[in-house]
Amino acid sequence: MKILVVDDSPAMRMMVVRTLRQAGFGGNDVTQAEDGAIALEAIRKETPDLVLADWNMPNMTGIELLEALRAEENNVDFGFITTESTTEVRKKATDAGAKFLISKPFTVEAFEKVLSTVLS
Amino acid sequence: MTAATENLQAPANVLPGFSQISRSWDREHSIQAAKILPGEYYVTTSDELITTVLGSCISACIRDPLTGVGGMNHFMLPGNKDTKKNKWAGVDCLETRYGIAAMENLINDVLKQGSRKERLEIKLFGGGEVLKMETTNVGKRNVQFALEFVRAEGLAVVSEDLGGPYPRKVNYFPKTGKVMVRRLRSLQTKAIIEHERKFESSLETTQQSGSIDLFD
Repeated sequence: MKILVVDDSPAMRMMVVRTLRQAGFGGNDVTQAEDGAIALEAIRKETPDLVLADWNMPNMTGIELLEALRAEENNVDFGFITTESTTEVRKKATDAGAKFLISKPFTVEAFEKVLSTVLS
Repeated sequence: MTAATENLQAPANVLPGFSQISRSWDREHSIQAAKILPGEYYVTTSDELITTVLGSCISACIRDPLTGVGGMNHFMLPGNKDTKKNKWAGVDCLETRYGIAAMENLINDVLKQGSRKERLEIKLFGGGEVLKMETTNVGKRNVQFALEFVRAEGLAVVSEDLGGPYPRKVNYFPKTGKVMVRRLRSLQTKAIIEHERKFESSLETTQQSGSIDLFD
């Protein structure tokens, strides 16, 4: 299983990877990208099974990344991990085809619940 | 009608999401002042004062000198009873998620107003060692986190006043970047500690984190 973590914050990427391990998903192949544009290139080459993306990022935001993927008919499982959790953001995420949204600050339990459902 | 009253009736514009922050006219500096409490943050594009009082908590003051947009947060890492896990550089302490989220919220909202991450000017304050009876030093841990965070993010810290056995009052003028720090006397420490303990307790006991939405 390949998981791509997309966040412009190195600290947050470290924390997401660490939480994946603590939630029992450390055995997967976890890679990282620092913005949506870099992630888009990586996804085209590496074809991950799951993308965990931040919402706000320079160059290409998380929602722009998801929309670009769906425009290319790439239906990779995609979820947001973000401080943005307004009704508008949730609607945009669902409309674009996201599977879930985890609000920051997140917990190990949140990862366990969501990922066990999505990856099952 | 006095100038102060006029300003109270026509306060500086509040950005979306910050209407709950307490704001009032600061007579000493003749400017609108936003007072932030533990767990809050505030960002403004206007010429305002942002003020807070810190014990062991940390405030980051962040601005883009080019746009004059800036803000301040006020956060702490909730206590971790297992001191072996109280380290941040190895990301062994999940409590740091509160600190990272506090920093990310502030940075994101400054960037949303047209600022650029590479221009951000960071000032760090607080982390006083005011909880003398604690076996773990809360202030020191908060300071360690803040310094490690800015290093990991490659952010430029232009000034700091961290640690020490006293609480602080911080006044920040994001338009100019000026900061005025007053170290408070021990007489005021008890109330500040009480306030921060309540905040820490709320972090530990309430479900403030990890909310999830499954869309399928």
